[in-house]
Parts: sequence; C-alpha cells; structure tokens
Amino acid sequence: MEFEPTIVSFLCNWCSYTGADLAGTSRMKYAHNVRVIRVMCSGRVEPTFVFKAFREGADGVLICGCHPGDCHYHEGNYKCLRRYHLIKKYLDQMGIEQDRLRLAWISASEGKQFAELADEMTETIKSLGPCKVKNVMETLT
Amino acid sequence: MEEVRIGVYVCWCGSNIAKMVDVEEVSREVEKLPGVVIAKDYKYMCSDPGQDLIIQDIKKHNLNRVVVSACSPRIHELTFRKALENAGLNQYMFEMANIREHVSWVHTDRAEATKKAKTLVAGAINRVKWHESLDKRHVDIDPATLIIGGGISGISAALEIANAGKQVYLVEKADKIGGYVAKLDLTFPHMYSGKDMIQPKIDKVMNHEKIEVFLNSMIDEVFGYVGNFEATVKAKDEKEIKFGNVIVATGLKPFDPSGIDNYQYGKLPDIITSLELEEMFINGQVTKKDGTIPKNIALIHCVGSRNTNYHEYCSRTCCMSALKYANQLRSALPESNIFNIYADIRAFGKGCEEFYTNTSKKNVMFLMYDQQNDLPKIKKAGTGDNCDMIIEMNEKLSGEAIEVPADMVVLMVGMKAHENAKEIAHAVGISMCGNEFYIERHPKLDPVATTTDGVYIVGTCQSPKDIPDSVTQANAAAARVLATINVAHMEVEVTTAVVNEDVCCGCQTCINVCPYTAISYDEEKNVSVVNEILCKGCGTCGSACPTGAIRSRHFTDEQILSQIEGLMSMQLQI
Repeated sequence: MEFEPTIVSFLCNWCSYTGADLAGTSRMKYAHNVRVIRVMCSGRVEPTFVFKAFREGADGVLICGCHPGDCHYHEGNYKCLRRYHLIKKYLDQMGIEQDRLRLAWISASEGKQFAELADEMTETIKSLGPCKVKNVMETLT
Repeated sequence: MEEVRIGVYVCWCGSNIAKMVDVEEVSREVEKLPGVVIAKDYKYMCSDPGQDLIIQDIKKHNLNRVVVSACSPRIHELTFRKALENAGLNQYMFEMANIREHVSWVHTDRAEATKKAKTLVAGAINRVKWHESLDKRHVDIDPATLIIGGGISGISAALEIANAGKQVYLVEKADKIGGYVAKLDLTFPHMYSGKDMIQPKIDKVMNHEKIEVFLNSMIDEVFGYVGNFEATVKAKDEKEIKFGNVIVATGLKPFDPSGIDNYQYGKLPDIITSLELEEMFINGQVTKKDGTIPKNIALIHCVGSRNTNYHEYCSRTCCMSALKYANQLRSALPESNIFNIYADIRAFGKGCEEFYTNTSKKNVMFLMYDQQNDLPKIKKAGTGDNCDMIIEMNEKLSGEAIEVPADMVVLMVGMKAHENAKEIAHAVGISMCGNEFYIERHPKLDPVATTTDGVYIVGTCQSPKDIPDSVTQANAAAARVLATINVAHMEVEVTTAVVNEDVCCGCQTCINVCPYTAISYDEEKNVSVVNEILCKGCGTCGSACPTGAIRSRHFTDEQILSQIEGLMSMQLQI
C-alpha cells in the first residue's frame, strides 16, 4: 500500500484558516493528508507544538500565516518566521529532515494556493517517507 | 477536576457532509473515546431541532463539554456557544471540528474523508477536555461613533446616528465631503442630479451639532476594543478621540485604463474615462480637446472589469452609467451617433431593465464584444476617414469584424478598492479579500459587520455597488451601531493572555513581542502584567514565554498539545 503521510498544520484564524475555508466553499480538491489546527495567529505556534506533532507520529508539519505586512496582529507572522528558522535547525539536530516542516503565507482569498500547497506538501512528505521519530522514541523508552 | 462528560454531535449538513463522510461511522467510532458520554449524528445541527438536541442532552446526560463536528467554526461557532449557554453551560466548554470546508467539500475518496473526519473530531474531543469556563466580560459602549470616509455611505450613516442624538466623528481624507456622488451630474435610472441630491446632506452634516467633521484627515491606528476604541485623527491639529464603534466607508478608486494597450488611453486625445465625461456634463459642454463637437461617440463598457487580466469581478454600475450617458448624449447632441460597445448589459436594479429598454429606443447602437478574449482595438483614423478614430471589433451577435467610427471614446472604468484600503484595514483590524475589498462577517447573513466586533463596513469599500445599495448598507450599519449604544454594554471575548505570577521570572520577553504594548512590568513583584483591555489575544507572548507563565486563554498549551495528541492517536488507530 502506498505510504499516506499525516501532516499536522497550524493555520492562523484570520488569513490562512479562512483561505482553507475558501478552498472548501470553492469545492477545490486536494490531498486528504493535511489535518488543520486553528490558532489565532501564526505567532502562537510554539516550537513545542511542532515537536509534539512529530513526537506523536506526524510525518510533516505545515504552518500557515498571513502574508508579510498583512498580519491581523501586525507582526505575529514575522515572529513565527524567526522561530521557524530556529525550529528547522533544531529538527536537523534531532535527525528529522528539515523539509518535513514548512511555513507558508496564505491569505484569506488564497483558497487555490492552500489546496496546491496541501498537494505539494503531501508529495514532498511522500518522497521523504514516514517520519521515524515516534518509533525511535518508543524504542528508547 | 470534575469528571469530563462530553457530548459529540456530527452534522450531515444535508448531504454536504454526509455525501462524502460516513457521519454515522464517525459518530459510532468517536463514542468509544474516553470522556465521550454520547455521540450522535443529525441532519442539520445548526437548525433549531439540532440545537435543541444538544440542549436536551446536556440536561439529560449531565454533559459538561460539547463537540460539534460540522462546518467551519467561522460560520457556526457562536450559534452553538449560545446553545450551550441556553442549556446553562459555560459557552467556552465547546469545540468545533470542521469536517465540511476542510473535509467533505475538498476530498473525493469517501473512506479517506471519513478517516480524516474522525481524526479531526478526536482532536476536538481531546482539546475540549482542557477547556475551562471563561466569564464573558461586560464592557460599556462609548456612545460616540467614528466614521471613516465622507462619501454618500459615510454621510448617510453619520446622519442616521447623529439624528438619533449620538456623537459622530467623521474623518475625510479630502478637503470636502460628498465623495463621488457629489461629482455626478445625473444618476441612473431616474436622472436625478447627484449634486442636488447630496448637497443638502452635506450641509446637514457640516452643520450638525452631533457631527464633528475632520477634513484633510486620516486615522492612523485604532486602539482598544468594541465599545472602547480610541484613535488619533491625523490632520493639521492632531486630536485624540474616543468612540464605541467604527464604520468604515472609505469607498472606491476608479480603474486606471492606461494599462490596456487596445484602448490607447492617454495616447490619443479624445479617449476619456467615464469620470472625465461626467465632468464635461457638470461643466455643461461635451467637446473634444480641440473644442469642437464630437460626431461619433463610442462608450466602451467593462473597462477593467470582468476580465481576468484586470479584475474578474463586475463593477455593477458601469453598464447603467453607460446607458445614462447614452441618454444624456442623445439629448445634448441630437445629431451624434452613439455606440454602446458592451460585453453584456447588466441591468438588475430597480427600474434599470426598463431604463435599458427605453435607451435602446433612442437611436443608440449596441455592439457586443468578447470581454475576456477579444477586446476592441482603437486606432487613429486615416486621412480619408470621416472621423478621428476607428474602433476595430468583432461584433459578437452578427459574427462580423466591423470598424466603428469615433471622435470621442468613453471608457466605462470599473471600481477598485480605495488606495488606502490596506492601511485602514490595518488601522481598524479587519481583513481584505484578494481584490482588497473588505471581508464581511458573513456574506449573506451579516454583510455589514466584520469579524472585529464594533467595526462595520459600508458602501464600495466592501464591493462595487450603486448609490441605493451603499445607502442601504450605511443605514443598516447605523442601526446596528445605535442598537449597541442603546443597550449601552456588550459582552466581549475574554480569550486574552494571563500571567501566572508564581511562575513568571520577570525576564520581560513577552513585553518585547507584544504588538499592543498590553504587557507591562511590575518592578515590585518582578513579574509581567497583562492589560486585558489592550490584549487582543494573538498568543504571541504565550509562545515566547520561556517559563510557561503566560497562558493564552482558550488557546492554552494543554489544549493545543492535547488536540495534536487526539488527532494523531485516532490517526494511528485507523
């Protein structure tokens, strides 16, 4: 059976979640692998959330926020961007491929872009194969 | 902690969800999850019987948490929260799983869609376990209202509110109010004078004791929350104002046709925009640049509208304006040839179809072109031609390639969002769609409110529209504002950040990341303190806090981590 990855995604309420809703109301079709968790702002996404998702068996994590300059809270997305680069470095040290984490800007009107992103990300993770962190952690304990 | 007793309700949304998700299976499976007392599926959870089902179950089964798995929380979260409240439960003991917009409408494999729905519901169930009762905060409503924009919409709203005896601050960027209506000679379909219509209103606004007008002014940033906003009016003399509600009426910007090569705007002398023609009518004479009277006049419709290269949307007023010009030109220049070069005639307003029929009887030629693929092309006429310009076009109805003579071409330019739309959106905290028009709270059921409490959008800043629609929206928003002023207080969200002083180490990291300067440092206690009135609940401080002292209410670490856990555990089971 083909590997079906699970991608946990954190979407900001104002732009990206609305954009994902728009993909729905426009009946665009995309890969079923993305699971959405709503946060008010991408700035709320703590590194812990990302690590937790991998720890629980996610094969990829996607964070979406408003485009630069469009953040509902002025600059939460910039703060998210800074953290994102740090998290990537840390993932590397933990033996998780950096490509398993992605940050993207999706506005409230970009339903199409969200659908394409979900497909793209699914393809990327499929080519990387399953994330082994959960298994390794379980062996260790 | 009290025993967690969760009720889960899976909505069919008619066939919207049920067609792609096996709702019965979802409900059967999640009922087995720890903490779930009862799980049901029902045709329309948002309907009265659907809500009643929840209310009855809360009472019967002593539920203290509810999960509804249905559409987007952006649509019905408040509906269900109210239902919980009606059942005597705190409204925050509720979580929604979005299995319509994020599942049934976007996936094509029923088995996979059902699986995904289960994981999302399991996530919601896990999250809701950590929900806590939050008390709504009651705030008083400042009876003053800020209106941004002094066009017909802003003016109408201002008068409604001020006539009810409430203070209005009207901020206008230009040196006078009146907007585009004041620049209209006549209006369709009744041919009333725009200027005559709006002038008495302008006078009333300027002299109203309850309206303070700020001309040549802008609003920088609006602080606060519904009922208690404040802002600085930027003008020659800056002024601090306080108000309870905001009505945004920033209006439109006409489309600039110089980017359309076929139309030669700015390159040939007598190619003008509809606004320039309007000015000629106001000044009483339609002439070419050389002062002579044009013999052949062409009105090209849909300039910048309904074409994916420019704007996909219809600007809604240009067809009727073009018919109005045809009428005006026919009276002003009885000898002229008038050509309406159109894509479709959209005459949907009251009295508009009749206006179209009448116009078509006045010796006006209607020629149809393909708006998306085949725009007419204007070129300079040759020496032998008896006109200044030639418009080459493929006339769609006859199927013939024709040349239309023209001495004056009027481009019926569409509407764009105002050039300051983005700044204003940021200042008041509202969102824009891709075309930079503002997004309403609900496109059908709540079209003048926004997702920011206390901020309303009226007129063409929301989408292109004509005068009656703008006035209707303005009056609707005014009624909404007056209703909140009348009640005098309102419930607001309490999903703000809160500091646990026992854990806070006083590092002040949160103070640096807060976009609202809502956090201050208490030197005596060596802790950070959140001003809940300024906090808008973005949660950035919560993610930055190194000790976990800051909790973002309703988006706490436990809630989100637990949601991830629930989502993934169900994923592994199936």
